[in-house]
Amino acid sequence: MTKPSTMRSQEQRTGLYLILPALVLLLLVFAYPIGRSLWLGFFAQNLGTELKPVFVGFSNYVRIFGDGHFWQTFGITVRFTVLSVLLEVIFGMGVALVLNQTFRGRNVVRAIALLPWALPTALIALGWTWIFNDQYGIANDILLRLNLVQVGINWLGEPFTATLALIVADVWKTTPFVSILLLAGLQTIPADLYEAHSLEGASPWQSFWTITLPLLVPQIVVATLFRFAQAFGIFDLVQVMTGGGPGGSTEVVALYIYANAMRYLDFGYASALIVVTFLLLVIAIWLGSWLIRRSRSISE
Amino acid sequence: MLFFAAIARFLISLMPSPKTSRRLGWVILCLLTALLVAVPVLSQQPVTLKLLMSAPDVPPWTNYLVKEFEAQNPGIRLQVIEGPNNVSLLEDLYTTAFLLGDSPYDLVNMDIVWTPKFAAAGWLKDLTDEFSEQDLAAFSPSAIAGGRYQNRLYRLPTRSDAGMLYYRKDLLKAAGLEPPKTFEDVERISKTLQQQKAVRWGYLWQGKQYEGAAAMFVEVLQGFGGFWVNPDTLAVGLDQPEAIRAVEFLRNTISQGISPPGVTTYVEEDTRRFFQNGEAAFLRNWPYAWSLLNADNSPVKGKVGIMPMIPAAGESGGSCLGGWGLGISKTSKHPEEALKAIRFLIGETAQKQVVLDAGYVPTREALFNDAAIVAKYSHYPELQKVVKNGVLRPPIAQYAQASDILQRYLSAALTNQQSSEQAMKGAAAETRRLVEAGRMTKGELKTQNSKLQ
Repeated sequence: MTKPSTMRSQEQRTGLYLILPALVLLLLVFAYPIGRSLWLGFFAQNLGTELKPVFVGFSNYVRIFGDGHFWQTFGITVRFTVLSVLLEVIFGMGVALVLNQTFRGRNVVRAIALLPWALPTALIALGWTWIFNDQYGIANDILLRLNLVQVGINWLGEPFTATLALIVADVWKTTPFVSILLLAGLQTIPADLYEAHSLEGASPWQSFWTITLPLLVPQIVVATLFRFAQAFGIFDLVQVMTGGGPGGSTEVVALYIYANAMRYLDFGYASALIVVTFLLLVIAIWLGSWLIRRSRSISE
Repeated sequence: MLFFAAIARFLISLMPSPKTSRRLGWVILCLLTALLVAVPVLSQQPVTLKLLMSAPDVPPWTNYLVKEFEAQNPGIRLQVIEGPNNVSLLEDLYTTAFLLGDSPYDLVNMDIVWTPKFAAAGWLKDLTDEFSEQDLAAFSPSAIAGGRYQNRLYRLPTRSDAGMLYYRKDLLKAAGLEPPKTFEDVERISKTLQQQKAVRWGYLWQGKQYEGAAAMFVEVLQGFGGFWVNPDTLAVGLDQPEAIRAVEFLRNTISQGISPPGVTTYVEEDTRRFFQNGEAAFLRNWPYAWSLLNADNSPVKGKVGIMPMIPAAGESGGSCLGGWGLGISKTSKHPEEALKAIRFLIGETAQKQVVLDAGYVPTREALFNDAAIVAKYSHYPELQKVVKNGVLRPPIAQYAQASDILQRYLSAALTNQQSSEQAMKGAAAETRRLVEAGRMTKGELKTQNSKLQ
């Protein structure tokens, strides 16, 4: 054996030791719960079995495919996630561009802009519930004063407006998170690129499309993936604002799984639901990042 | 004593210097002796029984029940823990406590609809053999039935609750109308009063997607001669013609302008405020509303009558039975003391005091006609009829699911997202799948157990 290769293998071993704690931690907090859910998903553990696990094979998973209620909540969650993340990225980009400019008091404005993200969701959900109250809410008050409506809208009482209210609240709450990520990305773009581009006669609008956006793609992808995963698991905002109503029209997957586990005490089925949701989420994220990678390789 | 001395000697032998160690040994010996004396004394300290209930229900307990019980039972303390106002959060707290295996609560204060679930989960002590038929004879039979699951008794009722019909005596009298006997009467009288501009709305009920809507619907269903789930045969009746007629009746109250369109988003308090402001002729609500409607600042004070929930013409109606009761946690370390507490709390003296103090509805039949109680609440003899006609929501283990299914489809039908027939067919199909799945896993478990034996 030659000397350099032993050195390399030694380095590799040291590297392995160094990442070992992180790996163990990941296994404990990530792989174990998912693996355990997967395992529990093969058992019936519910009131019918007096909460004792009884092996049932794939029957929980088969049941999911025929469970219209689950797929309905799944569709509602997808709709909510796609719309709110899309709006958050667009608004987040706008806020990031503003915060990237130099102006007086920029640091103060940056701190304030981050505030909604720092507030506890359950509390701001209560606030938004009052904003959208049909009798006393500010939303209706403004619309009535502007003569845009003649009768106050029953925001949380209609499927469409309730969904809208949830999206507005979520966008308000999490846009700062996206804008901070994008702001970090903006600051890594060298200013001389813009100078050279404008010397060639390009407008700021053209610079945005040819310099800012392409160079910001990694940050956009990271922000989108983070937000996608988070929005998909939304619970607190919906639980407080609508509780899944009216008529189950805002019931998201997390609410349904919670009901199965905590209210119906159907732990086997709830575990199977978690596993299926997890797999679908992984597929969605994988598909999304694959599409982005492909579009980038085409554009390059 | 010798044992402790031996330990002390052993400890001394471990010490390096004999002089200091001997002194230390004496100290240890003294401490151990003190411990030996203290243990029996400490074990004679009172047993503490814990129970959790929602905060607004606590005052009658701390005002009277706890003091009186502790005075009568010097060895037992009763610790009432204040929980959230929202009862479904309370249910969550009990559930998590039980799931962890070692419940901190000895007594379980249960809503009537939790009993089958908690019993099926094996969290409650079976109390069937602790109470004789004679003990139970004094209670209203439906309140006792609400504490049974598969013919075993798990919960003793402390407080009753039943849905009923409030109506404006004054308006009916002025128009020369008799109080309604059927749903059709309610519709007719409402229209007459609305046409005479005596009142803005006719009938108020709770139509939001929540448990209260299920309770309200049980009464209409009973009134049309239908049923939800038969607990014995597990037959589901939601897609029967009677059930569809029941949904149609509710929808008609909105479409004919008898009920405001907002009823599909209202809970009890919304409807009570509406009625109290004099904006409606009829209200479906629970007994709690009576004292609020007759409060000094109430515009309808003294103008309200009550009656059991009415049926459709030619049928016999029923009120949805609610209420609270006590069970004992299976993991309680003091079941004997807990049983003593239950016997005291469901006793006649205790119940009478609470009824007088807080205006609760008793579970003992004799109390409805008790002189002191009638002197304070003149409507209690009438209230007895309401409670007597009580209908239980299906006492099945999967009630929470069954109720969620009904709420979802009912809300969809009431808000015109589906036709009555379509919604009830969907609700019935889903409920059937639910009870069938419960039956199957139970069967499988039984065969598996018999194989193991």
